[in-house]
Amino acid sequence: MIDARTHAWLRPLVAIFVGAAFFLPLYLMLVNVFKPGDEILPSPASLPLPPTLENISGVFAREDNLFTFGLINSIAVTALSITILTVLSAMLGHYLARSTRLFSKLLLVVLLCGLMIPIPVILSPMTSVLKAFDLMATLQGLVLVNVGYYVPFGVLLFMGFVKSVPRELEEAAELDGASKIRVFWQVVFPLLRPASASVLIFLGVWIWNDFLTPLIVLGPDSGTTVTVGVYRAIGQYESDFGDLFAFMFLATLPILIFYLALQKNFVKGLTGGAVKG
Amino acid sequence: MTDTKHAVRGGPRLATPPRTSRARRSGRARLTPKLGRFALFALPGLVAYGLFVLLPILMTGYYSFTNRNPFNPPTEFVGFRNYVTLAGDPEFLQALTNTVIITLIVTVLANVGGLLIALLLDRPSKLYVALRGVFFTPVVLSSVVISVIWRAVLTDDGLLNSALRGLGVESPPGWLSDPDLALYSIAWIITWQMLGFCVVVYLAGLQGVPRELQEAAAIDGAGGLTRFRNVTWPMLAPALTINTVMLLITGFKAYDQIQVITNGGPGTGATATMAFQVVKEAFVGNRIGYSSALAAVMLALVAGVSVVVLRVLQRREVTQ
Repeated sequence: MIDARTHAWLRPLVAIFVGAAFFLPLYLMLVNVFKPGDEILPSPASLPLPPTLENISGVFAREDNLFTFGLINSIAVTALSITILTVLSAMLGHYLARSTRLFSKLLLVVLLCGLMIPIPVILSPMTSVLKAFDLMATLQGLVLVNVGYYVPFGVLLFMGFVKSVPRELEEAAELDGASKIRVFWQVVFPLLRPASASVLIFLGVWIWNDFLTPLIVLGPDSGTTVTVGVYRAIGQYESDFGDLFAFMFLATLPILIFYLALQKNFVKGLTGGAVKG
Repeated sequence: MTDTKHAVRGGPRLATPPRTSRARRSGRARLTPKLGRFALFALPGLVAYGLFVLLPILMTGYYSFTNRNPFNPPTEFVGFRNYVTLAGDPEFLQALTNTVIITLIVTVLANVGGLLIALLLDRPSKLYVALRGVFFTPVVLSSVVISVIWRAVLTDDGLLNSALRGLGVESPPGWLSDPDLALYSIAWIITWQMLGFCVVVYLAGLQGVPRELQEAAAIDGAGGLTRFRNVTWPMLAPALTINTVMLLITGFKAYDQIQVITNGGPGTGATATMAFQVVKEAFVGNRIGYSSALAAVMLALVAGVSVVVLRVLQRREVTQ
């Protein structure tokens, strides 16, 4: 065994080395965003000195507006989906956690089965359903599909939290004459804030990053999301890594900021549910 | 205690009749608020789930017994013919093998790597907290972005091979163009993306191992390895369960990386997975019936394997 003193300097060294090796691909993307295209292949790992914003402005200047329109669509779809999902799964999770009937238990099992279903398995009939409602190739259609597909995950998270809200609190409010809706909105929902934060953050990241669903649901003709935009951009940029990396960098930035802004809540929320659930 | 609870629960029922006139009427009074509550709180979420998940699952099951093809009507019932074709379809068998190989590699590598890195980073100082962030970053990124980055690194004239040529390697391997290598490159990329998830879950598990237990074992003369095997590892059982199930599902449904990086190639389906085949048959070949049978097999495999593994691992958690 290595003795403790050797360990003391070995651990940070190994940790930094492994971390750096792991991060290398991301580093390559980051530095090359700010490097002129023709310098990338000869010296991919060098620092971008002096840095150029050519690649970034190139993404905004695209004639097909692949990035700008994609960004707007992504923001709209993600924001709408996670807002609806938070509200619907909070209500459904609360209902199922409080109901003692066998029917509710069955519903829960059916819902949780949805956690295991990969998107490709249901994608084709899903588009048939969307066509029946005339929602194919629309943002509303994509939002609805997201809501249906991710509601089991939201319910799972909220149910754990509802159990930590004392039932007596709700009953007291009801005694005071508050309606069920008011009890939910003014008593229960505010107490579920950590769970809401986790749902927002998880689903926000997942929906923003989704590839296959928007690719198929929005189709090739109408505008697409920024993540699918990255895929569409590959063909045109073939070997111009600078433009492509800049596109990806810009496509990732909003969700990364969203994630970092909510992250503190998320870690708290996660452990809160684990302890009390 | 129970008496008070009854009193409280009886409360609103006593209070309601004078407030709403409708409640006084007949047995409907007791049922309507319950139904109303169901319709208001439960129904919206359930309808969305039913329309876009449950109904499609049933449709997939039904279509798998037909020859449905929107460009080649009429749709006829064909019994188990799709499933029989599937069993002898070399494309399907290769996709199945590829999926199993990817899943195994990802599950083992990400679990082992994640555990080792978690053990390495299980210290409270700022350096290790920052490194956790480094490992977790790919988890937050889209697999499309990850795929494009790795494609730029691994493609024939990409960043890695340029570097290798610079070091004097005459003909560096075709990481993505060699049919014998491409599948492993894909498995590696998925592992790399999932590693941070495993690190974080194992770190959370390590927080739950009491220091006193470690110290007591050390005093009893247990070496580092014995301590890990007998004290730390058993307490990481729940973390192992979460990671394994998560990785299994991720491996089984692998699609994005293949679509973005290799499009199923090189050659005939060297990296095609089941998910890739399902989508290809449905949206490129328009063979909805056949694609549905494939999807049904895929779902049965995912569900079967994850339920069995979950059972086994959870039993292990209890006995330890």
